[in-house]
Amino acid sequence: MRILVCVKRVPITGGKMVLTEDGQALETKHLGFTISPHEECAVEEAVRIVESDGGEVVVLTLGPAEAEEQLRDCMAIGADRGILLETETEDWDAQATAGAIVDSIGDDEPFDLLLFGNESADAAGYQVGIRVAHALGLPVVTGLKKIEPRAGAVRCERDVGGARDVYETPLPAVLTVLEGLNLPRYPSVPGRLRAKQKPLARTAVTPPTSQLEKLRLVVPEGQGKQAEVLGEGAQAAPRVVEVLQELGVA
Amino acid sequence: MNVLCFVEPDDELSAQAIGFARSLGDTRAVTFGGTYQPAAWARALAAHDADAILAAGSDRGNELLAHVGAILDRAFAANVTSIAGGVVTRQRWGGSLLEEARLHGSPQLLTVAPHTQPAAEIGAVETLSAEDDGSPKVLERIEEASGGVSLREAKVVVGGGRGVGSAEGFTVIEELAGLLGGAVGCSRVVTSAGWRPHTDQVGQTGTKISADLYVACGISGATQHIAGAKGAKRILAINNDPEAPILAVADYAVIGDLHEVVPAISAELRKAQG
Amino acid sequence: MLVCGGIFARRAWFLTGLVRGARPSDRPGSEAARVRNEVELVLGQKKLLQRLVPGLMHAFIFWGFIVLFPTIVLAAIYVAGGGDHTPHWYSVLADVFAVLVLVGVATAFVIRKVVRPERFRGSHLGEADLILALIAAVVITLLLWHLVGGVAFAWAHLVVIGAFLAYLPHSKHLHIATAAINVWMARTRSGGRLEPLRFDVPDGELRFGVATTADLTRKEVVDAFSCTECGRCQDACPAYATGKILSPKLLIMGVRDQVFAQNDAQIVGNGVPEEMIWDCVTCGACVEACPVSIEHIDHIVDLRRSRVMVDAQFPAEAEPMLRDVERAANPWGKPQSERAAWAADLGVRLLDPGDPAPEYLYWVGCAASFDERARASAEATAKLLQKAGVDFAILGPREACTGDPARRMGNEYVFQAYAEQNVATLNEQGVTKIVASCPHCFNTLANEYPDFGGAYEVVHHSELLARLVREGRLSPRAGEQPITYHDSCYLARHNDVRLEPRELVTSVGRPVEMKRSGKQTFCCGAGGAHMWMEERGRPINAERVREAAETGAETLAVACPFCTVMLDDGVRETGAGLRVADVSTLLAESLDA
Repeated sequence: MRILVCVKRVPITGGKMVLTEDGQALETKHLGFTISPHEECAVEEAVRIVESDGGEVVVLTLGPAEAEEQLRDCMAIGADRGILLETETEDWDAQATAGAIVDSIGDDEPFDLLLFGNESADAAGYQVGIRVAHALGLPVVTGLKKIEPRAGAVRCERDVGGARDVYETPLPAVLTVLEGLNLPRYPSVPGRLRAKQKPLARTAVTPPTSQLEKLRLVVPEGQGKQAEVLGEGAQAAPRVVEVLQELGVA
Repeated sequence: MNVLCFVEPDDELSAQAIGFARSLGDTRAVTFGGTYQPAAWARALAAHDADAILAAGSDRGNELLAHVGAILDRAFAANVTSIAGGVVTRQRWGGSLLEEARLHGSPQLLTVAPHTQPAAEIGAVETLSAEDDGSPKVLERIEEASGGVSLREAKVVVGGGRGVGSAEGFTVIEELAGLLGGAVGCSRVVTSAGWRPHTDQVGQTGTKISADLYVACGISGATQHIAGAKGAKRILAINNDPEAPILAVADYAVIGDLHEVVPAISAELRKAQG
Repeated sequence: MLVCGGIFARRAWFLTGLVRGARPSDRPGSEAARVRNEVELVLGQKKLLQRLVPGLMHAFIFWGFIVLFPTIVLAAIYVAGGGDHTPHWYSVLADVFAVLVLVGVATAFVIRKVVRPERFRGSHLGEADLILALIAAVVITLLLWHLVGGVAFAWAHLVVIGAFLAYLPHSKHLHIATAAINVWMARTRSGGRLEPLRFDVPDGELRFGVATTADLTRKEVVDAFSCTECGRCQDACPAYATGKILSPKLLIMGVRDQVFAQNDAQIVGNGVPEEMIWDCVTCGACVEACPVSIEHIDHIVDLRRSRVMVDAQFPAEAEPMLRDVERAANPWGKPQSERAAWAADLGVRLLDPGDPAPEYLYWVGCAASFDERARASAEATAKLLQKAGVDFAILGPREACTGDPARRMGNEYVFQAYAEQNVATLNEQGVTKIVASCPHCFNTLANEYPDFGGAYEVVHHSELLARLVREGRLSPRAGEQPITYHDSCYLARHNDVRLEPRELVTSVGRPVEMKRSGKQTFCCGAGGAHMWMEERGRPINAERVREAAETGAETLAVACPFCTVMLDDGVRETGAGLRVADVSTLLAESLDA
């Protein structure tokens, strides 16, 4: 099976959101980067499917040159090659992103499966996978916690609070997945060393005019709220129980 | 403005969305009968003439509007908290950051960020039908053996983080949760460490809770976790560190070692419950 | 004799082949120190004599062996008809030492059969008995030859020696051939430095620690040959003492069995149970105790390296730590942008790139930056340095984890990435002197970063503070409160820093020593990445807290953020009435009082 997994380089934020002076982006000067947990599971799933049924895993990202780091991480756990749609700007909304992805795979051999995280960790638009599916005329199922490929089709499951909805779709198809789909493996060092040699194709891309045009980012109020300290240590217990009773939960 | 709002019956998030929708203009509340088939339902929604199409920022709401956006080749703003003069404010990072963006074109497609609007009476709902277009639809629903309270629906959630220290350490968390009739949750570090299953994870990529009370024990409060917890009406943080980020989003706090504080609370509760 | 000689020679050839075929080691050392070790440890039996009776028992046998060696030649000449050329003085000397040997053997039997110490659990006692019997036979036949005379006894003497010779390299008595070599090959300095791996070499030369015996270094092979199964390491091991299955002795025996098994099997899982390698806290008590200079930590870390870097199999709870170190630059996974938050209101100089280097770069460490209990020590140290007028600054967000937890866990790859990054930052900043709060940071900066181009003068904060007190730049007020000081493994054992923290304790209170102190200190349980791993069996920290409480002290002084957290946890768990505080905190309080 040929599987495409789309990932996005996102900063590892801590407990606070700090913006750049112009309010256009997060200050990432001393932050590390990763891909979203949903996407880690997507890459792991793709690698497992290809390990058992053969094929190729291609991992793609739209991002700055530094996003190569994330592609190499995916290759370290088994993706075979990478595509970097390189851009200097962060002004890519979901529509533009989906468009760039569709354009880039236009010339490639068709993929049997295209995997996305259900939503990106930062922008969380919930739509890139669905837009790519429509553009390619492919069926799409989202929010998946289980994927079972069958001959020419895939059976998948989505959590719906205490139950699972089962879908089945023929391949090729687009699927978006959630963390909990699997437990991503830890990369081995031989895997990392091999990943350095795997092929990585780079294409420069620029965004079209945006229909959801970001004006600025704002840190919501409520951060900097100070909790009412009920006490210290075990001695606080009686006061806590009072509060619990006031709230009607005890 | 003519507003079309997709709702699901008896759904709290839909009740929040319908109020917001009505604040924008004349609103038709619609739902669908039959098996859930997102692309087909979206096609039906898209066929209507409306200035704005809304839904709650639930799994289905976001999915449907994304399909509508793709079908109409229009921008879709997910998890919006307000809109004024064509500028939406929407949530990033699970709500820890807001984006102000100009939403161009028509119809305006948006979902309403959960727990940011007051619930309204849903009122009259039209049931539409959607033509099966061959796209994926739900084939069956497998009920899961319910072992206790579901995290998503629990009125009380007691969560444990890195500070719990081990899988066994969760016994005190489970004890307190049991006494409050609640569910046990955890942070992502805990699931990565293998102490609890992912189904217990509260967070941006786990379960987003909507409890009346969330007791966060030994959880520092990374934004990824807070994103899943902010649906809770009240948060009580139990932490050793007075500088922990969670204290900036909690309503109440106890500064101390959870291994001492949580059993003490359980003991007091037992006394009070007789 | 020829036959026995032949058997011995063939086996010796086989064994040296195993050593020659192993990977080269890379450990620094001075020839002078190696010679001194040979004199002290081998000739002087120094480590053995730490336990007086067993030490003397062995010393008598060992010295006797040396003194009696020429008797083989003399007996052979006599038996060949060349007459007895034994000079009288030598005969007397030999007889005296022969008796001493018998005393030794008898003592050994009493220890083994009557006292039966715990350290022999798991050792091959039957083999030991046979060896002792052979030693006795060698000496008895010699005495009989000297005292009674006649060719028969001389022959008997030679026959026993011949048998012993043939048996020797097939048994644990092999140590008599390899011990001196092992002592020579051991580290003479930088005890806390692990040997780096190289990743920039052709595929065929890549080594990711030890998976099979083919990956062992020469020192590791000679370690395996030198083990006498004495169990002193087992007795010293905090993991073994608290019910874990790790015994350094059994681990080395397991490696030895695998070497002799001569197959491709993975060592972990076949000779060495997996759990053993994860129980280790890298405290070095085993290395310190071993009379033949076996360096167990290298084995354990090398076995971990293969499990982590090749198989990606390791305790699940450590995975978040490894991922956080790699992606967030600290094992707490907190944002580096907040690394200097503790110093915000203290007026501590934060270095920007291009700023002039301070006299001392204060390396705060991840624990003090991000853990609320460890923070106190950094705050105290900063204030003390300011008070004493020391020119210092911190790197803040540009100070990344030294990589110690990743390295001890076995992820050498991630460690080296941070070593290179930190060395680049320090070198670009022109740093020459570093003061570190955390003994693990201190050890890595001082002993391990030189392998990556970082050569700095590194001191631990207790060393610098003690010097400032001595020089009168800080004047603590003497106190009466009883304080017991817990030596950190990475300070006291791996780096020989034992006096300065005690100077600080003496300057503010009344010191009370625990039994296991100094080089014999008992770990707090956090080393070897155990700060982030779960512990089976009884907790090591509770064990140490009990020991501290027994001194009657009110304060348990430490000089390490990990010890601070672990022992504080231990106090809470055991309910001991002890206050755990870093020496810097105690010093600062005495100045404020």
